[in-house]
Amino acid sequence: MTVALLAAVLVVAACATPGPSQVTIPPGATGSAAPPATGVPSPSPAPAAFPVTLVDDEGTSVEIPTEPARIVSLTPATTEILFAIGAGPRVVATTDFDDYPPEAVDLPDVASFISVDVEKIVGLEADLVIAGGNNFNSPEAIAQLRTLGIPVVVVYAPDVATVLADIELVGRAVGASEAAADVVARMRTVFDQVAAGTQGLARPTVFYELDATAQIYTAADDSFLAEMIELAGGFPITTGSTTSFEISLEALVAADPELILLGDAAYGVTADQVAARPGWGGIRAVVDGAIRPVDDLIITRPGPRLGEGLLALATAIHPDLVVPTTP
Amino acid sequence: MATSGGILAADRIGSGPLEGVRRRPVVLGAAGLGLVAVAIVVGVGAGSVAVPAGDTIGILASRLLGLDLPRTWTPAAETIVMELRLPRVLMALVVGLGLAIAGATFQGLLRNPLADPYVLGTASGAALGAAIAVVIPVRTLVLEFGLLHGLAFVGALAAVTLVYRLSRISGLAPMTSLLLTGYAVGSLLAAGLAMAMYVSGSGLRQIFAYLLGGFEAASWIRVATTTPLILGAAALIALRARVLDGLLLGEEAAAHLGVDVRRERAILLALAALVTAAAVAVSGLIGFVGLVVPHLVRLATGPQARAVLPLAALYGAALMVFADVAARLLGEIPVGVVTAVIGAPFFLVLLRRARTGYEL
Amino acid sequence: MIRLEALTVAYRGRPVVRDVDLAIAAGERIALIGPNGAGKSTLLKAITGLVTPAAGTVELAGRQLGALSRLAIARTIAVVPQLAILPFATRVEDVVALGRLPHEDPFRGAGPADRAAVAAAIERVGLGHLLGRDARELSLGERQLVLLALAVAQAAPVLVLDEPTVHLDLRHQVETMELLVDLNERDGTTIVAVLHDLGLAAHFFPRLVLLDRGRVVGDGPPATVLADDRVRDVFGVDPAHVRLPA
Repeated sequence: MTVALLAAVLVVAACATPGPSQVTIPPGATGSAAPPATGVPSPSPAPAAFPVTLVDDEGTSVEIPTEPARIVSLTPATTEILFAIGAGPRVVATTDFDDYPPEAVDLPDVASFISVDVEKIVGLEADLVIAGGNNFNSPEAIAQLRTLGIPVVVVYAPDVATVLADIELVGRAVGASEAAADVVARMRTVFDQVAAGTQGLARPTVFYELDATAQIYTAADDSFLAEMIELAGGFPITTGSTTSFEISLEALVAADPELILLGDAAYGVTADQVAARPGWGGIRAVVDGAIRPVDDLIITRPGPRLGEGLLALATAIHPDLVVPTTP
Repeated sequence: MATSGGILAADRIGSGPLEGVRRRPVVLGAAGLGLVAVAIVVGVGAGSVAVPAGDTIGILASRLLGLDLPRTWTPAAETIVMELRLPRVLMALVVGLGLAIAGATFQGLLRNPLADPYVLGTASGAALGAAIAVVIPVRTLVLEFGLLHGLAFVGALAAVTLVYRLSRISGLAPMTSLLLTGYAVGSLLAAGLAMAMYVSGSGLRQIFAYLLGGFEAASWIRVATTTPLILGAAALIALRARVLDGLLLGEEAAAHLGVDVRRERAILLALAALVTAAAVAVSGLIGFVGLVVPHLVRLATGPQARAVLPLAALYGAALMVFADVAARLLGEIPVGVVTAVIGAPFFLVLLRRARTGYEL
Repeated sequence: MIRLEALTVAYRGRPVVRDVDLAIAAGERIALIGPNGAGKSTLLKAITGLVTPAAGTVELAGRQLGALSRLAIARTIAVVPQLAILPFATRVEDVVALGRLPHEDPFRGAGPADRAAVAAAIERVGLGHLLGRDARELSLGERQLVLLALAVAQAAPVLVLDEPTVHLDLRHQVETMELLVDLNERDGTTIVAVLHDLGLAAHFFPRLVLLDRGRVVGDGPPATVLADDRVRDVFGVDPAHVRLPA
């Protein structure tokens, strides 16, 4: 009975987790926006005022007694944030599915998709842990770390604005507020440029495919991904639910998207495969051949490369988009 | 009637097999205690961070025995040994003990060698409870126990109660009825679980981790709250070993041997369900320990519950710690996976070797 | 020792034993006989407290059966269990030892007296050659003897048997009967047995109780209970086909 139960669970779990980001770095993914030019890891000129007390995305008040020197990042997005704001050299461990930047990949792994190695974090004498909320990291492990006296800042960005706020939050937590403000400012510039470039353009209906190996997964209503598509000048086809990422083929055919974006291109899905799927042939995007691959990692990961992601998404939706180059 | 080898028989009984049988559980018990001790040492000594054996012993000696030793270790090592590994090992010991005792009880009570602690819906009840806790957005912690643990505990007990109540309105023999009702209710709850997982969104990962079981979240407070419950109920079960022995030959025979079957069955069911619910609430669903360990012990000593229950407790506790160590060393894979990998092939061998005489 | 008064037992409203009066004195040896469905086994269940009477009373050693605990009943009446399938491998001596459950210290388990009783029962029933074997691998007849030994080890003043000889070969049938006579005459055990074999019943039991459709229709020595017209009426067979001891 237990076995059957577990088997059922495995099947459900396998289906319901939309293809988690994989460790593949598409060539050129880092090309467009300039990396932080300064590269100076030093904190703000005026010595940061530690202890710092801040409220994280779950509403928990976290006190960080001294400037963190041994930071653990439990999500790929926060790892990217830490490196982008110059705190990379102070990061001592990340997850086993971190893929960017390259320096982070070789760091010790203290978390997998289902578990956090609390013992290893304690053993590394971490003085700050940045974790993912909304069940990204086990709430039990977060509670345990806090019980052991290790400050844990939990971030969870349900929308684009929160990503920017999170970068500033992490900046304050590690005493790199200025560098964080710089990163945010550069990202805002890209956002503004995309907004300006797509203004007045027709907004095609976009089906963004997260995964379609069994069920079809796409953006949920009001989700981060739906917001990104809107910001990029598209009209997202969503699942009709704020919690479910699954859409039926019937609903998809009825929505009749003008454009299909393959967020699962990294898994080997191609336009030809999509066109050959039974039932898909009549969709306008398939008829018109408007099926394009995109780099899902930078589009859906709530990190500092989101500006690049938005630009890539906007270009995929409007191929002749002209965006003014960075000032 | 003492025609067929009367003298020979008397000879053999005097000092032969019966005497041997009487001593064997004592030897096995001593070996089991030794194994538990080894398990504790290995469990506290092993982990993803290498703490030198000398430091581990020093930390334990200074913190547990109050010895004033020179501190050759880092504060981190002390935290790892005292706050992470020791409670984790104790938690695994207690849960392993509980599941083995509960498994032996359900097997004896239902007269079914394939019964395990989860047979009467406890697993699916706990899983559904946990999944509901993840789905409803309330976050509270009482004594380090979240809603998940609370609802898992309640779910397990509620499922058994439901199975027991429903089984009594069927026209079948009580044991058969319990088993079949257990399967029916279990299937229904599993459907509820699948539904809860379907709507759980990002909580799926947490439900999934719970279903696979583990001890990584062990803490002293959890050990302190769970241990008395499991040990207390397990001890009360062990005191009723006579009942399980009587049931070897069926309910009527048990009644003729002085067992108030209806009453004792209800008491034992309640105790075993309590042990299972507590174990499952704190550690998730860990299979095979409760199924395999009692059979192993029976192979060694025979089915007398008075020997089987304490021995299953010892070996179940030790096995669980070793499984947890393996899980840790393999990079925090779920303990349930380890016990299944050890338990399933082992059980198949057992099935081939030992004839099981169960018929519904 | 056992006294039934106006006893009626019903299953789902259908009476199976009707208005039976029966007194069995300590030290008696009595066989219950009658055709299938006559209510013999149900009567035994009423005596051992497994079924609750619809009407009437059962007294055991001067006390109402309903007022006695299962343990008290088990110390007074030993019942040879029906053949059961053991769920786990169990050695013959371990099965016999189950007979000591009503006597064992509930905390310390079997004591020297219990082990001696088990050894004696094994010897008395002649199971020495089966020691150490898994009871599930024995023949039906052997298993029946193991269960008989269990009841002997229980050492209760009353021994109740339901068809103790069905699976036994001729020699073991006779030996079992001799053992019952021996237990009765040497140990003073009261024996109540349901028997199908009228020959064995008539030969080894001084008192027979004949049941038909739930009622006692004959009670006394074999010669009177098994008179020709009764055998014809109750069993529906020609008495000439039934060879009874003179």
